[in-house]
Amino acid sequence: MKEGLPFDHRPDPRLGAALRRALDAGDDAAFVARVLAGAAAVRPGSWDTVLARWARLGLAAAMLVALAAGYAIGRAGLPASAARPSVAETLLTRRAPPPEADVVLASVVGN
Amino acid sequence: MADPRSPQLPPRPARIPPQDEAELAARALAGDRAAFGRLVERYAATARRVARAVLGDPDDADDAAQDGMLSALAKLDQYDPRRPFGPWLLRIVANAATDRRRRRAVRRTEALDPALTAGGTRPDVSAERRALAERLRQALAELPERRRLAVVLFDVEGYSHAEIGAILGIPEGTVRSEVFHARRRLRALLADWKEDDG
Repeated sequence: MKEGLPFDHRPDPRLGAALRRALDAGDDAAFVARVLAGAAAVRPGSWDTVLARWARLGLAAAMLVALAAGYAIGRAGLPASAARPSVAETLLTRRAPPPEADVVLASVVGN
Repeated sequence: MADPRSPQLPPRPARIPPQDEAELAARALAGDRAAFGRLVERYAATARRVARAVLGDPDDADDAAQDGMLSALAKLDQYDPRRPFGPWLLRIVANAATDRRRRRAVRRTEALDPALTAGGTRPDVSAERRALAERLRQALAELPERRRLAVVLFDVEGYSHAEIGAILGIPEGTVRSEVFHARRRLRALLADWKEDDG
């Protein structure tokens, strides 16, 4: 095949014909019949199509609103005293109660 | 009617004038199945070729082309009748093919028969053309998807760079570049096949 000019604005008929032969699947009539059979179940621009499009937008908006509301409620409803103590505070202030005497005894006897 | 670009190209279905396509689309939107049928007939071969350029496998391509056409029918209310119908439809078909390719594992293109790549003996024209077609499909498969689509839409389907830009969602200059690089690659791969191929 001859090399065309770079950025040639005209289609290359020889390459085009070869590609067309390579890509053609044949029997377009059967394909058309198949598409039209499938089209029976599709309503063009129907309310459910439109609704589905708006539903996606609505769902995204609702999620944003829910996130914002959850964050606001979480911030507002949390009293300052209810803030979770840090690990250091927990270790310093909370001590486990000492074991009962019988537990200590059982441990010693068992060993 | 023979394609005016070249007597070598097979005959195409008669083009429907753009205003008629807009009218058909409006009728299809109103529920006229015959109008939709005319649009499908007009673009069936093109849509199948575009999908096959993306997917390679003819069955997958037909499934994607059908998905695209039915999706276009469902979205007909979004079609702007002031614009040409073909690029709008083909954009949906190309997207359907791309989505399908992403969803499934890409099937590996079968390796070419060494006799074909070596330019071995060719018993008749039919076998020779089949071999050339196989080699072209292999060559296409090696190109990036956008480049593949650009050259098919330009050299096979006859769309302008601007229209292809609209279909692929890329600037016109990028389309020119993609067509150029695709042609250079395809021609290089085909150069040793047969100089006088028609």
